[in-house]
Parts: sequence; C-alpha cells; structure tokens
Amino acid sequence: MSPQATGPIRRAIDWGKLAPLRLRARQVAEGAYAGMHRSARRGAGVEFGGYREYVPGDDLRWLDRRSLLRHERLIVRQFETETDRALCLVVDASASMGFRGSRAPGAKLAYASVVGAALARIALGSGDPVSLTFLGGGAHTNSVPRSVGHEQFERIVAALEAAEPGGDAHLDTGMLEKGLQTLSRAARRGAIVVLLSDLIDLPPGSAERVAAIASQGRVLVVVQTLDPDEIDFPFTGNVRLRGLEGGAVVETDADTARERYVAAMQDLTRTWREAVVRRTGRFVQASSDGDPVDVVRAVVEGIR
Amino acid sequence: MTFLSTLALAVAVLVVAPYLAHRLRRRRAEEQPFPPARLVEPSAPKARRRSRLEDRALFATRAAAVLLLALLGATPFVRCSRLSLQRSGGASVAMAIVVDDSMSMRAASGRTSRFERARDGARELLASAREGDAVALVLAGVPPRVALAPTSDLGAAKRAIETLSESDRATDLDGALALARGLVASLPQIDRRIVVLSDLADGRPDAPPLGEGSPVPVWVALPELRVAVSDCALMTADRSGGRVRVQVACGPGGTAAGRDVVVEDAGGVVLGRTMLAAGAEVQATVALSSDAAPVVARLLGGDAIAADDVAPVLPEAGRGALAVVADATEEAVATGGAPIVEQALSALKLEVDLRPIPAFPDRVEDLGGDLGVLLDDPPGLTPEQRHVLGTFLEGGGVVLVALGPHAAAAPLGASFEPLLDRATSWGDTSSMGADPASATGELVESARSLADIGASRRATLAPEDVASVEPIVRWTDGAPLVARRAMGRGEAWLVTLPFSVEASDITLRPAFLALLDTWVRAARQRAAPKRSDVGTPWRFPGAHVVDAQGPAGPVAATQDDAVVKLVPPRIGVYRIGVDGKTEVRIAAPDARELDMRPRAAASSTSGSGMGEQRARVDASGEVALALLAVVAAEMAMRAWSRRLRNAEAV
Repeated sequence: MSPQATGPIRRAIDWGKLAPLRLRARQVAEGAYAGMHRSARRGAGVEFGGYREYVPGDDLRWLDRRSLLRHERLIVRQFETETDRALCLVVDASASMGFRGSRAPGAKLAYASVVGAALARIALGSGDPVSLTFLGGGAHTNSVPRSVGHEQFERIVAALEAAEPGGDAHLDTGMLEKGLQTLSRAARRGAIVVLLSDLIDLPPGSAERVAAIASQGRVLVVVQTLDPDEIDFPFTGNVRLRGLEGGAVVETDADTARERYVAAMQDLTRTWREAVVRRTGRFVQASSDGDPVDVVRAVVEGIR
Repeated sequence: MTFLSTLALAVAVLVVAPYLAHRLRRRRAEEQPFPPARLVEPSAPKARRRSRLEDRALFATRAAAVLLLALLGATPFVRCSRLSLQRSGGASVAMAIVVDDSMSMRAASGRTSRFERARDGARELLASAREGDAVALVLAGVPPRVALAPTSDLGAAKRAIETLSESDRATDLDGALALARGLVASLPQIDRRIVVLSDLADGRPDAPPLGEGSPVPVWVALPELRVAVSDCALMTADRSGGRVRVQVACGPGGTAAGRDVVVEDAGGVVLGRTMLAAGAEVQATVALSSDAAPVVARLLGGDAIAADDVAPVLPEAGRGALAVVADATEEAVATGGAPIVEQALSALKLEVDLRPIPAFPDRVEDLGGDLGVLLDDPPGLTPEQRHVLGTFLEGGGVVLVALGPHAAAAPLGASFEPLLDRATSWGDTSSMGADPASATGELVESARSLADIGASRRATLAPEDVASVEPIVRWTDGAPLVARRAMGRGEAWLVTLPFSVEASDITLRPAFLALLDTWVRAARQRAAPKRSDVGTPWRFPGAHVVDAQGPAGPVAATQDDAVVKLVPPRIGVYRIGVDGKTEVRIAAPDARELDMRPRAAASSTSGSGMGEQRARVDASGEVALALLAVVAAEMAMRAWSRRLRNAEAV
C-alpha cells in the first residue's frame, strides 16, 4: 500500500508527535546523556591525543615530520585539552525539510529541531555556548547568536518553533554559501558544528564545502535527517512524484524504480559520509521515525 | 447552411466528447510531494492499456447517447422526402395509385430503381391513408391492368403493393389513367384523385400533357423520376450458319458506337465479338469462332437499363410458308402462268413464301415449316394424308379447302375426315351469289362483291357437316359459301366453290382477296412467332392447359374469349407447355421504351392540395425512448464496471 502524502507542505513545521519541542528536547537530552559531555577537543593542547591524516587547512605546526620521512605520508599530531567548546547548530530549513511521510511522527524539520534543541540543552548544561543557524527557511526563520545560559535554550527553542520550511537550495545556490559564511564567523577554533539536514537538493560540491568546516580545529557532525519514506521508497504502482525543491516531477512505476532509488540515495549518503569522515567529521543518519535519543547519543559520542 | 444546420452539426460534433473524456480520464498517478524526486528514475507506466480506452462498450454507449441527444434536438427540423396525402376538410379520400411498371422504370433512381422508388411512394401514400379511404392500384405497363380493385381494406392494399414487381413492358399512361378514372368514379368518397408514380417515359414525349382535362384530379408525383437518360437495347440475335446477326437500337440521343457485342455459349464462353458502329439502330454480324451452339448475345458497356442488353440467340427464322395444292392445268388462267390462287396470294404481298406442292403430303414433317395449307378442289385425302392433316390442325395449323367437282368425286377410300364427316356433292345452284348480310368478321365489307359470282354449280355440304361449321358468308339460300371450323388448336376454312374461273367469278371479286388475307392472318396468329415484343399477348386458341416458365419464374395464363392467353412480362426466354407439348418463345424489348424522354404533365398535376412530397417526420418520441435506454445501459455498465474494479481491489 502506498503511503499517503501529507499534502502540500505547510509553512509552519509539522510537529506531529514531536511537540512540544521544549519538553521533548529536555526528555531527549536527559535520556541521551547525563554528564558525558566533557568538552574535549583535539588540536593544540598539552596531552597527546594521537595521529590523523593531514587535510588542507591543518596547522602545519603539528605536522609529524618523522612520519613524513619514514612513510612519506602527511600525518598531523593531535593533542587533547579541557576547554569550553561552543556548539554551532546548523539546521536545514529548506522546503524539503518540511516533508512528512505517512509513517513519520512529524516533519523532518521538526525531528531535526528536537535533536538540535536536545543537543543545545546538553551543551548549555555543560556551560558551553550554543548558536543556531538556519539554511534557508521562511520569513520568520531567524538565527540565534552564540550565547550561554538557560535563556539561550529558550531562545533556541523559540527560534526553532518559529522556523518555517522554505527556500530552494537546488536553485538558490547562495543559500548554502550564506549559511556557511555565517557559520564561519560564529564557529571559532574548537567549535562543534552539527549540521541537521536531509542533504537533498543541495547543489553539487556541497559535501566537500561543508566538510571543509571540519578544519581549523572545528568538529563537524553531519546528521542526515530523512523521512522513512525517503529511505525505503515504499510506493507501489504508478506514482507521480514532485520534488519540493528544484521543480522535478517524475512519473514512474514504483516497483521498478525502487531498487535504483535506494541505490541512488545510498550513493548520496556515501558521498557525504566519505567527504565528512575524510575531514575527521562524523556522519550520522537519522530516520524521522526513529528515537531522537539514539541520534543525540550518536552525535555526542561522535564529538568525543 | 442555416443557423439550425450549423447548430445541429455542432451538437453532432459532441459525439467525440466521450472519447475525449475517456482519453482525459486515463489514470494518471496522483501527484504527491517527495523531496528526493530527482533521485527517482522515470519509467514508462507498466499498464499501457490504461492509456487506451478503458471500456470500449462504455465509450460506444456514451457516443450513442450524445448522438441520440443531437438527433433528438434535430427532430423538429428533420424533413425527409416522403409522399403524403392532404385532405380537404379531413374527408375520406378515394385514391387510385397508378404505378408504372414499364421497362423504363428499371433505370436507376439514386440507389434503387425508379420502380422501387415508385413502390416506396405507394407505400408512403398508404401510410398516410386512414380508415375510410379507398385505394385502388393500376399498373401502367402495356396492357394497363388493375392490380387492386378499389378497397377500403388498407392492409390488403399494402399486401398488393408488396406483390408488385418490375416488368419490361411498354407504357400506356393514358390507358392506365382511363382505367384509374373508371375505378374511382363510382366510389362514394367526394374527394377523389389519381396519383401517378411514373417517369412519364411512354415513348411519346410530344403527346398532350398527361392529365390535361381529366375529370378526376391527377397528381403526378415523384418528379425526380422524370429524368431523360439514354439506353440501348439488343433487340434480336439470330443465328445463320456460323454467324449471329444482331440488331441494336438506342433511344433518342443515344448511340452504340464503340460498344461491343459478344456471343456466348451455355457455359459463358465467348464465341465471337464485334464492335458496333455509330447510329441509333445498328445491325452487326458476329462471326462464331467455334461450332458450339450460341445461346446468348450480350451488349457490353453500361447504360440506363441492363436487362435489355441481353438477348437469346435464335436460329434465323424465315418468313413462313404457305403450301398450295392446286391443279395447274385446270386452275391456270388463259394466259398461262401460276394458278390464280397463287397469283392472288402473291399480289397480296403478305410476306410469306408460297410453296406449291402437287399433292397434300402424307408425312407430318413435310408440313413442318408451313403456316397453312391451301387445297383447291382436292380429290379427297388418303388415310395417310388425313392423319397428317389432323396432326397439322391439332398443332395449330390452318387449312383452306376449296370444294369443287373433284372433291365431290373422291375415289374410294378417300375422304375429308376429319374436316367433314360426310361426302360433299357437286350440283347446280339457283343462287347467283352470296348474301352480303350474312357475312361476319373481316368479310363484312367485301361480301357485297360476292352478291353475283356467276356460279351455276356449287359444292354442297351434308346437313351434319353444316351444323358443325361456323358460316362466315352464306349463299342467298342460306347454305354456307365460306365456313370455318375449329379443330384442335388449328382451324379449317371451307369454301364451297373451287378457285377456278371456270366454275365461278369468286376469284375475280375483291372478297376473294379479303378471304385470302383473313385466312393468312389467322394462320399467322395460330402459328405465333417465336419472338415478339414483351407485353404482347401470346394466344393459344384451342389449347386447354398452358403453363409457362419465364426469366422471372412462372407466368400465369389467362382466358380471353375462351382462348388461353399469356402475356410475357419480362424480356427473355419462355418455355411454354401447351397441352403437354413444350415450345420456346422469346420476348424482345419494345422499341418504344428506349425513348426515355419524359412526357409533359399538365400544370394541374403538381399535386397542390392533394399531397406533398416533403413531409415533416416526428420521431422525437422514439428517439427519446432510445436515448433513455442508452443512458440506462450506460449507468448499468458503470455500476457493473465499478463492482468489478472493487472486486479486483479486494
């Protein structure tokens, strides 16, 4: 049986069973972590933290010359230090994030908001500053500058609740550029950048450009937030599908097209995963019908 | 094109609406949002049949519904070419319908023949008749006939119309009108009329306008039939040796130039062919390429009437012959030469061959080709001769016997049986001649010349024989001078004087020539020609049982003055059984029917006030019922289709 569509995407977030965001985020945060965030970061410090492959942008001071001479490979040394680590939440609020399939408890943006708010609560609980940046979004979608304290959590929650899905990242190539520029200014060295996005309809080369955030001591975690229908393509029979960005309309026999779609989605995911991991980032795939606690836990563990 | 016509056409175009609806209703998948749509590879829908018409039956039903709807809207404006009666004050009508069943009516009129259109017209007239109307049917083919006597039984009239059939007869419109007038004249209806359904091509285009001065109003309907067309007919095809001589005639303005005539055998194999020269009447000879018997000749190339382009091939017929048995030594005139009776027959130019024979033959086949036999004072007949004479008479032969002194002095064993049962006598007479007042038939006018014929002696019949003959001219004393006796299908004529100027002056009187002319004509009538015009009656005097099989099936014989008569209605071969013997006769086209120029009709025959040819047809009720049925069928089919779909879904 083919899933029933939710109809045209509403301007407001379809929260569904994920509302209210504030309580839901607290529950997730409490369920995901209690004291495991220790604001550790690798980079310049006093305690050796290991080696990793050099990526452009790394400080050449930490280049291990012995490894270069012995193995002819560019290896950098990492060190751990106890410090305050800012959390930069980047939430994709483009139109495609407003999608909610028949099996999801809410729209992808709502799910990403819950995860983001929970992460913010965890970070704020540890005294780390948190900022919120949106990619796209409607008129009432406003970023929240970096700050700390309980009020910051309220501001972040309010901004997430007020956000509206909108914008076409496929056609508006400046949308990603604008978000990245904002992020570059807000994310200082050692900041943790968490991108919550479906990664769909972003312009070509986006994976590399986003992965580049992971330089200069920043930690990047990309959370690909997908609707379950986008993962397993549950349609049957003849379907006529309209993309929410880019204006693509496709008519196909779902039974025939399913296998190739799943492969294409896996290719997309693999591309992003490889790009992010290559930059020492973390890649987490989340389904909006899954437990947000698991996602938050995976993100936190990825940061460690 | 009027606005209504345009509107009707526009509505009719809606017939394609169900088709378009079906096309538009093809099941396209409902569009639904799916963000990663660009990752989905498009493919052709698996069920191609959905792009076709879902349900042809449903489509046909809907198209029919729209068509009927358009038809229903157009019915108030529909007029069709139908004949109908008009009534003055709603009174009953006495109507005689004259249907032309002549050959010219076999020409095409639209998709059917003129005759079929005329018959349809008769049906339409009957359809507009009501209870109380009287209808009679008259056929205008020669001779005009009453197909249905006046009757108020409209059902019988309809049945009578259905029995009408085409024929190849000539046309007699005036006779048919006279017959029709007589039929309706005595009817009680005040409103009487004659409706003529004819092409008016009676071969007399210059005749006075039809219906002019008729005391009974005449309506000449169906003007579309009055179209002059040209037609050629194959009139005769006679075989002579290895050739077939054909005669082709064409109507005014027509020509057979360039058309071919072929002769075929019974199997359809072409035995010869020739091309005709220009002309309205053309004769041509077709040389036969084999010894096979030619059966039929065909005139190739189409024209108005196909039926007259075929003619059976007959062995070439002679003019007919008369056998004359006369004693040249006694009957010759003083100046010499042929006997006087032969000279008289030659002088009449009767277009018959004279065949003088010395004695009456004693074999039947010796008289095979003779129309008649003239015996001038024969000395009786031997038994063999009497047998031949009896056979000849039974078969339709005609004999003229002049009784004189030799007949009265017949030798032993010789007699005139079966003509006369008793012997005749030859003796003096006191009568100087015939009584003109006693003459009958064709001799009435000329009998005066027989009042004094200078006969001193004459032959006398026995009283028994006098009683058995029919006197045509009597002596002044009442004894028969010229008498006739029917025997079998033939006739025997008796004259009680020999044809000798020595015995009397009868051969010198005009009545003698009239006698010979009448006798030869009778002989010709008895020996009917093998070919005659179609529609000309064939008479069979003395015959009791006559049956005939013609080109269109059996032909019924009728009685006319105690003589069996048969009228061939169609061109072609007729096999006629006459008292058990079969003979073949042929009906040939009548040249008058080739002139297909219509005769003028009087201005009063336009039918004003009597009827109209364009009648409005109100079929809206029937169309509405049909529309209702179609709509009901469409709903039932939809319900059935929905149930089927639900069952499939489950």
